[in-house]
Amino acid sequence: MRAYVEFAVKKFQDKMAYRLDFFMGIVNTAITIVVYLCIYKALYGEAAQVDGITYRMVATNFVITLGLSNAFDYDEMLIEHKIHDGSITGEFLKPVSFMLRLLAENIGEGVFKIIFNFIPALLFTMLYTKLCPPKSVLSLIVMFCSVVFGYLILWLISFIIQTWSFWLLSVWGIITIKNVFVNILAGTLLPLWFMPAALRKIISFTPFEAIYFTPVRIYLGELDGVEILSGIAVQIMWIAVLGVIANIFWKKGVKKLVVQGG
Amino acid sequence: MGEIRVILQSLKMSVHARMQYRAESLANALAVFIRESANIIAIYLALLKFDKINGWNVNEMLFLYSILFLTYAFVVSLFADLRQFSDTIREGRFDRLLVRPRSLLLQLILNNADLIASVGHGTLGILLFVISAGKVGIHWNFTTILYYISAIIGGILIQGGIFIIFSSLCFYFVETNSIRSIFYWNMRKFAGYPISIYHKAIQVILIYVVPFAFVNYFPAQYLLRKADMADYHEIYIYIAPLVGVVVYAIAYLFWRISVKRYYSTGN
Amino acid sequence: MENIIMVENVKKYYRLAKRDKGISASFQYLFNRKYEIKQAVDDVSFSIKRGEIVGFIGPNGAGKSTTIKILSGILHPDAGNVKIKGYIPYKQRKQYVKNIGVVFGQKSQLNWDLPLIESFELIKFIYRIPQEKYEENLRLFSELLEMEDFINQPVRQLSLGQRMRGDVVAALLHSPEIVFLDEPTIGLDVVAKEKIREFIRYINAKEKTTIIFTTHDMQDIEKVCDRLIIIDKGKKIYDGSIEQIKNKYANSKTIEILLENNEKEIRTFDLNIAPMNAVMENLFAQKNIKDISICEPEIDGIIRDIYGGRIVLDNMAAEEN
Repeated sequence: MRAYVEFAVKKFQDKMAYRLDFFMGIVNTAITIVVYLCIYKALYGEAAQVDGITYRMVATNFVITLGLSNAFDYDEMLIEHKIHDGSITGEFLKPVSFMLRLLAENIGEGVFKIIFNFIPALLFTMLYTKLCPPKSVLSLIVMFCSVVFGYLILWLISFIIQTWSFWLLSVWGIITIKNVFVNILAGTLLPLWFMPAALRKIISFTPFEAIYFTPVRIYLGELDGVEILSGIAVQIMWIAVLGVIANIFWKKGVKKLVVQGG
Repeated sequence: MGEIRVILQSLKMSVHARMQYRAESLANALAVFIRESANIIAIYLALLKFDKINGWNVNEMLFLYSILFLTYAFVVSLFADLRQFSDTIREGRFDRLLVRPRSLLLQLILNNADLIASVGHGTLGILLFVISAGKVGIHWNFTTILYYISAIIGGILIQGGIFIIFSSLCFYFVETNSIRSIFYWNMRKFAGYPISIYHKAIQVILIYVVPFAFVNYFPAQYLLRKADMADYHEIYIYIAPLVGVVVYAIAYLFWRISVKRYYSTGN
Repeated sequence: MENIIMVENVKKYYRLAKRDKGISASFQYLFNRKYEIKQAVDDVSFSIKRGEIVGFIGPNGAGKSTTIKILSGILHPDAGNVKIKGYIPYKQRKQYVKNIGVVFGQKSQLNWDLPLIESFELIKFIYRIPQEKYEENLRLFSELLEMEDFINQPVRQLSLGQRMRGDVVAALLHSPEIVFLDEPTIGLDVVAKEKIREFIRYINAKEKTTIIFTTHDMQDIEKVCDRLIIIDKGKKIYDGSIEQIKNKYANSKTIEILLENNEKEIRTFDLNIAPMNAVMENLFAQKNIKDISICEPEIDGIIRDIYGGRIVLDNMAAEEN
């Protein structure tokens, strides 16, 4: 465990080396928040609510989703690059699990982004607009658990696709398309409330709803006791399923590489 | 004359290089197409629910967006080498340009042209134009067609100029990716909506700092005449095609000044 | 013969950001950076005549590449003057670079995905090489470097040696009067190295091309160069012929002494000052010696000893100019 914490800390420090990127990143996030809130405001126009959803709920949804997707911003081509330049074999020799190490590093980057990018930008935009407070202290705490699970779901999806680079020449195109799915189906671009009913139904059977939308609904108090539990249960179920799939792909990929020598 | 031959050879080489990986190139072009479609799908879904945004309906929005894609299809190939100019410097490729007896920008134009992205953006741009142009009440005649074409050229020059300015910043700062992602990529994304919906500060940026408003919003207003044009002076519509020339000229001067810095620091 | 390259008291400094370890240091780095000044080139002067081949050597980071960059007009010196063929390289870039060819051994100018010939075509247009001249040079060069077999293959499929030959040709297609080669033999096998050396000598003999090249390979220098310039820590420490340095330091013998207590000692003597028998007498009188071996200095060894500080060049060997 200690080693994985070290990986996360190291990544965190690396991030701090880039001064300009650091300050501009905050400005960027702040501008993005303001712009999308403008867009939602324009969509609402004079309407106080649409389908029972107020502008302020939409704004809150957007901000939480953005924070999470910001934390999830790392090099998704890493495994492909490591396979191409051969350095992946070095990873097998190390006495730590590559998968966990990668997760630790990505979390390190994510925590950096949240603390030094998202939170300052959020504080700045709070001056500009009001967001919904959490339903209760409890729902805030539960949301944090749910956020972690949401991150893991997203991370595992990304990891599974990254492992395909053992078989494919380039996974860039597939990663790009995966991100399109995440952006639309997980509600990064348009809150899931406003999806056509049929699409919404389909999404509820995929892991995408459990990424951002479950934490948001817990925060806003849209889910009550039993629904919260079932929402989190669904998240855990997806983590288990995706975790197994990820492990299978990773092991098969490593085996293929070792047998065929790349 | 000699300049054109250099550019043509660069283009020819870019095409040949992409042809080496035909299947992959096609797949990536498709991926770009789908990625860029995501924003369009989001707008479409949003307007299914909300009908209009500040008076603009879905077809008018698609028309507004189509100009962004059409212009970018050119920009991404013409100025491909300027997209990751900091890499060009870091990897020492800029040194090579300096020891050749030609203008530096000339050597960069169409070099490593990203034809995949051009196909992806271009296809989407044409598709959106075909879907929307007939349904937004534009009366196409000689004047409007001439205006439209010059606005497209202006839009290419504006974005090319912005690329040149960002590349010039690489001579001053090691890391410019964040500036670029705010002032190019994000502003471009924002320009997909009528700028009248934004906070004043952001409108100022889009009109005067990174003038994306002149790439698609004001040209679209010439043809569509939406009510929100009342927020701006009429003149913006008419100068839109000229803004590109001005931005490009400023960018060129800034580039000339900035390159001098490279001589004293290297990479 | 007139001097085609003149370098006077050239200096070049770099500013490097310092970075310490630890979380608090990375915070500091974020807000308040410290810099240190590195003297890459420190008061270097030399001049080169038309048609000379000059080898430029020095340990890594000695300032060789920086000097080449200054000569090719990529960098401005912070002080001093450079004049090459009447041009000030960094002031009259476009005019000046028509006259030079540059190979950066570590950075190919060839398009990775395409056959050599396509990169050559681009160069033809860039340098406005007349078609006949282009064809003549291409035919001659590809014959000399035996490139016919692979000129139509994508560069990524070529061996390093083949690629480097391509890079050398790319730099010479426009028949430049002055050629800078920055480590053109790095990483190549013996055969490929030899081909490139022969080619350089041929071009020099035929066209009277002035050639400066940097290398870590003393064979390059011995087989190709008339003259040798050594720089270390940004300063020129030797400028003269290879013969001179050999004659001077071949007179010094290095002796490895194994003492009774199995300790080793290495000593270098200048035989002009201390003849061998005197040295030996002295040694036997002072120490209990188990074994002695005498190392014959080759140019490699001499240079290694110069870098390592075991030979201190007492006076800058007589400059011919």
